[in-house]
Amino acid sequence: MDAILNQIFAGLSMASILLMIALGLAIIYGAMGVINLAHGEFVMLGAYAAWAIQTYTGMSIIMALPFVFVAVALVGWLIEKIIVQRLYHRPLDTILATWGIGIILQQTVRLLVGAESRFVKGPEFLSGNTQIGGLIMSNYRLFVIFFSLAVLAGTWALMTRTEFGMKLRAVIQNRQISECYGIEAKNIYSVTFAYGAGLAGIAGALITPLFSTIPTMGTGLVVDAFLVVIVGGLGSILGAASAAVLIGEATALFSMLFNDTLGRIAVLAGIIVLIRFRPRGLFPSNTRR
Amino acid sequence: MAQLQITDLHVEFGGLRAVDGLDFEVEKGEILCLLGPNGAGKSTTLDLICGKTQPTGGSIRFEGMEISQMQEFRRARLGIGRKFQVPSVYKELTVSENLSVARSRRPGILHALTRFALSDGRAVAPILERVGLESKADDLAGNLSHGETQWLEIAMLIAQDSRLILMDEPTAGMTIQETARTADIFRALSDSHTLIVVEHDMSFVRTVADRIVVMNRGAMLAEGTIAEIESNDDVKTAYLGH
Amino acid sequence: MTSRLFYDLVALVIFALVIVLGVPAIMGFDGFELNTFARYLALAIVSLALALSWGGAGLLNLGQAATFGMGSYAMAMHLKLKASGDGLPDFMGWNNVPELPLLWVPFQSLAFTLLAGLMIPAFVGGLIAIFMFRARIAGVFVAIITLAFLVAFQLVVIEQQGITGGQNGLTGLAPLSLPGWTVDTYGVGFYYLVAGCLMVAITLGIFITHSKFGLILKAIREDADRTRFFGYNVANYQTVIFCISAALAGWAGMLYTLVLEFASPTYMSVSFSLAIVIWCAVGGRESVLAAAIGAILVNMLEGRLSDVFVEGWNLILGVIFVLVVMFMPRGLHGLIGSGWQIITGKAGKPGMRPVDTGAAALPAKSAQER
Repeated sequence: MDAILNQIFAGLSMASILLMIALGLAIIYGAMGVINLAHGEFVMLGAYAAWAIQTYTGMSIIMALPFVFVAVALVGWLIEKIIVQRLYHRPLDTILATWGIGIILQQTVRLLVGAESRFVKGPEFLSGNTQIGGLIMSNYRLFVIFFSLAVLAGTWALMTRTEFGMKLRAVIQNRQISECYGIEAKNIYSVTFAYGAGLAGIAGALITPLFSTIPTMGTGLVVDAFLVVIVGGLGSILGAASAAVLIGEATALFSMLFNDTLGRIAVLAGIIVLIRFRPRGLFPSNTRR
Repeated sequence: MAQLQITDLHVEFGGLRAVDGLDFEVEKGEILCLLGPNGAGKSTTLDLICGKTQPTGGSIRFEGMEISQMQEFRRARLGIGRKFQVPSVYKELTVSENLSVARSRRPGILHALTRFALSDGRAVAPILERVGLESKADDLAGNLSHGETQWLEIAMLIAQDSRLILMDEPTAGMTIQETARTADIFRALSDSHTLIVVEHDMSFVRTVADRIVVMNRGAMLAEGTIAEIESNDDVKTAYLGH
Repeated sequence: MTSRLFYDLVALVIFALVIVLGVPAIMGFDGFELNTFARYLALAIVSLALALSWGGAGLLNLGQAATFGMGSYAMAMHLKLKASGDGLPDFMGWNNVPELPLLWVPFQSLAFTLLAGLMIPAFVGGLIAIFMFRARIAGVFVAIITLAFLVAFQLVVIEQQGITGGQNGLTGLAPLSLPGWTVDTYGVGFYYLVAGCLMVAITLGIFITHSKFGLILKAIREDADRTRFFGYNVANYQTVIFCISAALAGWAGMLYTLVLEFASPTYMSVSFSLAIVIWCAVGGRESVLAAAIGAILVNMLEGRLSDVFVEGWNLILGVIFVLVVMFMPRGLHGLIGSGWQIITGKAGKPGMRPVDTGAAALPAKSAQER
């Protein structure tokens, strides 16, 4: 029983990380139909930004989050302005271009910082565990779970309760008509892309105490995050959240039943089948195609 | 027996009954015009016949065979061709390549693998001449003007040589002369082909239609010759409101 | 014969002369140099295989490395068995595998191996294709499903250490012996074997592109629904080109194992799959010959530059790729095509993408005049 509870917690912890990565991806895909394969590298940049801030200023990663967000969002904004913006009418090519951008970011970091793993300290007040019966939960992982829920709520509010969100939804529905009413779709896209990148950066900073910080850390994450977005239903924020929990828990469950590798294979196979039968995801947004 | 028999056909889109108990028949070699106000279900009816949309009930029989659950490509092989409302030619292919694709008497892969792309060139040349595109055979379809694109589509339908051709607003955007020319082509086609045409241009309908079916709210409101339809009170009410 | 087929065949003849006569002469018939170049030629085959499905039919297969890997492992299993004589392959002993796994037994036969290197990839590619295309999966979803398949497949290969050699792959292989000829990978003969395979593959690719089958695939790429209404079974067309492409990738994989004398799970990595996409994009995805040349050029560049900038090569590759995608979506092939049209002043002729000349906005003048 305790083993199961601990696995459920491990699954939730994984889900919370997936969620933060997938959220930015879902927003970018939902808003502009761009499959952003550089997203994993945004996560990596966030992790390195957190490492740099901690190394050179001694700041805790929690305090560094706002700076990480701004820094990675800025990188995302520049990439959107310079490259992605020219490819909106060629969706297949955005996959390729963003993949290339990912290589460039990864190699740049490798050249500047080196390929070896970097260590980032977790915040001290979150060290230790909370124990309920046989269920042992790391305080830091608990914090990440709640933080990801807060980010989810904040993003949801941004999309539905603010003028920016309203404009973005208008552009998603019909770009031409929105532009006729004076909404500058180009700027909306840039800001959205930057926001998605910033979220990935935060996710990267938060996982530094859990993962090893290396230049290639994003590659594995982006495939998973992508599957979360597609399973969740393209562009649906709440769908992505549900899918993150589903995939996180499924991975934890299969890993317990078999081993880590077979668990991952089983989840991948399950997702391939799911895309085949529900290409619009489990929770498609309710619009006519 | 009629070539096409539609019996008690239904289709629903999320609660909206686009076609609701439609019955009609089409005889071989006939030009049937489908009329009706916007939203009457005319285009949807064509979609149901060619397989773009699956019906929720009822039957469609083509030459005695039930086709309502068949895949699109199988219906096309039986001899049902379709022209869409939005001109849909292959813009990245040349005019003659477009016709080669349309000429699909043997749509199998082995046959296609053992033929050069333009092996149908000789067969499609007279069709190009008929619609006046012979000088543009090697141009990309994307470089044609709007009118020429319409001609190309009609040429593709002739090349496909379907026994039953479904047309959605074939004269939309055409000039008077072009419309007249289209009417001539249609009359010539009806010797060996059956046509179902959705059209708003009444003068065109007067020239070509053998028979007219008027639809309203997904069902048949009236049918008959042009004279019968024009004197029908139900039709007037449906068009003018009450 | 159409003029475009004529140009392709002329280009192929020139290319063949360069590869068969020019390259060996430049390298002074030096075995080591030719071996390196043979590696590029093997990679050219997998690049052109991708061009058939991606450029020809609009199906971006990000899992091409998986079928390449299958061919590579098929060949490696045969050579490993030969190297092991009557005993078990060494790594099986380390993994406590008691007897030869059933999967390995038929690979003792050369004929079976050569057939399997083509047919297993084709079969697996066909299964994935049927699975996707019957459900009318298209566009980015094809890319994502094939990518997920690749990731899963590589994991399986690494996981099944006892059968596949795991992370180490299959090393310590015997040379291939064909009837009457034991292949020396550093000999001129081997170079011509690989070059001959490439020529056959390109010729096959050119004929597929110029057949009616290739035309229908182009039509499907542009508008699959419309093509269905002409009576073509779109899913079957897509499946067949996927199988052909997978078989060619498997063929390339077999040759690659011969060149490098080992098989490794890195051949099935996401980054290798991306590399294939890059070669194909740089050369030009719409022409098999251009895709093959793209693979050769990028790999030659890599061979030269990665000596100079050991760390920076991948960065350069990334930059090249982004630039190609942005400014040369049709690759070098498209660039040459446009250049040729500027020289001959035949803009707007076949081969050129439709340019919005405003023609659509004009009323149908020509038709009125008639």
